[in-house]
Amino acid sequence: MSTLIAPRAKRPIITPARKRPMTAARAKRGLAPYLFVAPFVAIFLAFSIYPLVFTARLSFTNWRGSGAAEWVGWDNYTYLLGNSGFWGSLANSGVLWLLIIPAQLVIALLAAVLLDNAKLRLRSIYRIAFIVPFVTPLVAIAQIWVVAFDQNYGAVNSVLNLVGIPDIGWLTTSEWSKPTLALLFIWKTTGFIVIILLSGLQSIDSSVYEAAELDGSSRLRTLWSITVPLLRRTIMFAVVLQTLAVFQMFAEPFVVTQGGPYNSTTTAGYYLYNHITRGDLGTGAANSFLLVIIVMALSLVFVRLLRAKD
Amino acid sequence: MTIHRTPTPITATARALHETATGHGRADAAELVSKPRRGRHGGMIVAQVFLILLTIGFLAPVVWALLSAFKPANDIIRAPLSFDPTTFTLDNYTAMFEDVPIGSGFVNTGIVLLVKGTITLFCAPLAAYAFAKYDFRGKNLIFGAVLVTLMLPTIVLIIPLLLEMKQLGWVNTYQALILPGAVDAFAIFWMRQVIAAVPDELLDAARVDGCGEFGIFWRVVLPVIRPGIAGLAVLTLMNIYNDFVWPVVIASSDARATLQVVLSTLAQNITGNRIGADYATVTGELLAASSVALIPLLVLFIALQRHFINGILAGSVKG
Repeated sequence: MSTLIAPRAKRPIITPARKRPMTAARAKRGLAPYLFVAPFVAIFLAFSIYPLVFTARLSFTNWRGSGAAEWVGWDNYTYLLGNSGFWGSLANSGVLWLLIIPAQLVIALLAAVLLDNAKLRLRSIYRIAFIVPFVTPLVAIAQIWVVAFDQNYGAVNSVLNLVGIPDIGWLTTSEWSKPTLALLFIWKTTGFIVIILLSGLQSIDSSVYEAAELDGSSRLRTLWSITVPLLRRTIMFAVVLQTLAVFQMFAEPFVVTQGGPYNSTTTAGYYLYNHITRGDLGTGAANSFLLVIIVMALSLVFVRLLRAKD
Repeated sequence: MTIHRTPTPITATARALHETATGHGRADAAELVSKPRRGRHGGMIVAQVFLILLTIGFLAPVVWALLSAFKPANDIIRAPLSFDPTTFTLDNYTAMFEDVPIGSGFVNTGIVLLVKGTITLFCAPLAAYAFAKYDFRGKNLIFGAVLVTLMLPTIVLIIPLLLEMKQLGWVNTYQALILPGAVDAFAIFWMRQVIAAVPDELLDAARVDGCGEFGIFWRVVLPVIRPGIAGLAVLTLMNIYNDFVWPVVIASSDARATLQVVLSTLAQNITGNRIGADYATVTGELLAASSVALIPLLVLFIALQRHFINGILAGSVKG
């Protein structure tokens, strides 16, 4: 019987007559995975790996888009590592990370825990509210942001004027441009984080909460000392995803601020694009690899933190 | 005083309970709908206020844009908060449809969606199935490459891709909009996780019944992972519909411009021309165009919200 369930089990007793069809089947199975990955690999090689290798070579040249490329060794990398613009862009991304991630996690965690309760009233309305930003095209909401946060004509300043707060230069001053961008990012992505956290909450058995309640634990305390620790892996997953997204952030500053004012919203991802528009392709390529290394290192740090606690 | 630091007996018992009670079975996504839990009324009001504030915050920008698009252009900037039904106008929409090729933008987006979406939805689960359930040479190498590209900023590849497209003569073509990124790394990564959860016994049973390897994928795996596929479909649809960086670079001609390209071209007008009488007109057109761009997805997702959420849940990691 066991052979029926597990045909892969090796049985020395099998006669040659039975062996042949078995190996034929196994050979066919051996070929199958290659065929299955083939369409993906073809597209992946042509439009991801080939350009990637091309960029890698480019990063060691001073090619500007035409003419002969001159090999410059590590010059592009050393130039960037000694360049204040490069570090400034990383610092901008770092500040955005600080403005976004902690606030977003707290909001998303509270919202997810509340939405996990089936008895919650208006639950379906809340769920729609959380999905709406997630499905709104970035270009569309970025335009809305530009119009609504306009210093002179914007709706946001009009609301603030109602409660006596004077006009704020949301997009025109370097103090406010980062919070404005962070707000857009939080608005756009929090719904997704809530959904990820909800999936984690589902795998926590409700008897855990009953035990906590019997022991007389308060709600907030239950959240902090039971839910959060049990949700640790999901939270880390969300943090890694968002860290990647924040450091690669390009579309938001591209549409809303063009990296300004005074480079205050030139994120790591946007700085990279600056080389490209200047035609400095070699430096742009080197910059992308430095960014990848930084992002990978950050992800590893988070994964390590997760492991250490396990 | 040390609530947050020391693991109290409460948390210890609770965690032990969790570890023994949950086992490994994933709660069915449908369970999101019903999970009775303790209900004390005190904090509920605070909770509702918190959620209502969030809801207002999330909906306000979109509702404001949808409503403002029906206001006379000058009123949008002069009185951004008022909404006077007597001044209801379609002027912004008519002006926008005249100035901007938004109709062909929809058609182009539709074509790309259909072809690219089909490729993704077929190739990604198929490849992910091989990664999840077979051992083959080069598997770790390819999957490692997939993971690396996951961390790559999208713009890294834009220059070499653009050069590649020029060499192929594909600038301003559908294939340039469709093929790059047709099976993206995230889809593979995500589907692999979904398919890994399908029990091997199921596949072996089908094999014993004489099912071919592709037949197993098509008739056993696909039906089982339907919620995951639905989630992938939703995410793919959204990504393709909302993608704009690559389309702006590769398909700037009116004949091939997708909806988002049309929208961002219009946006260049407003950022390039902040002051002056024109500002009001462009703002009006922009809000009208933004509304037109976001309404289809909004309607679709509100109609399908349960599938949508469950689909994403099917692919997420466990807690």
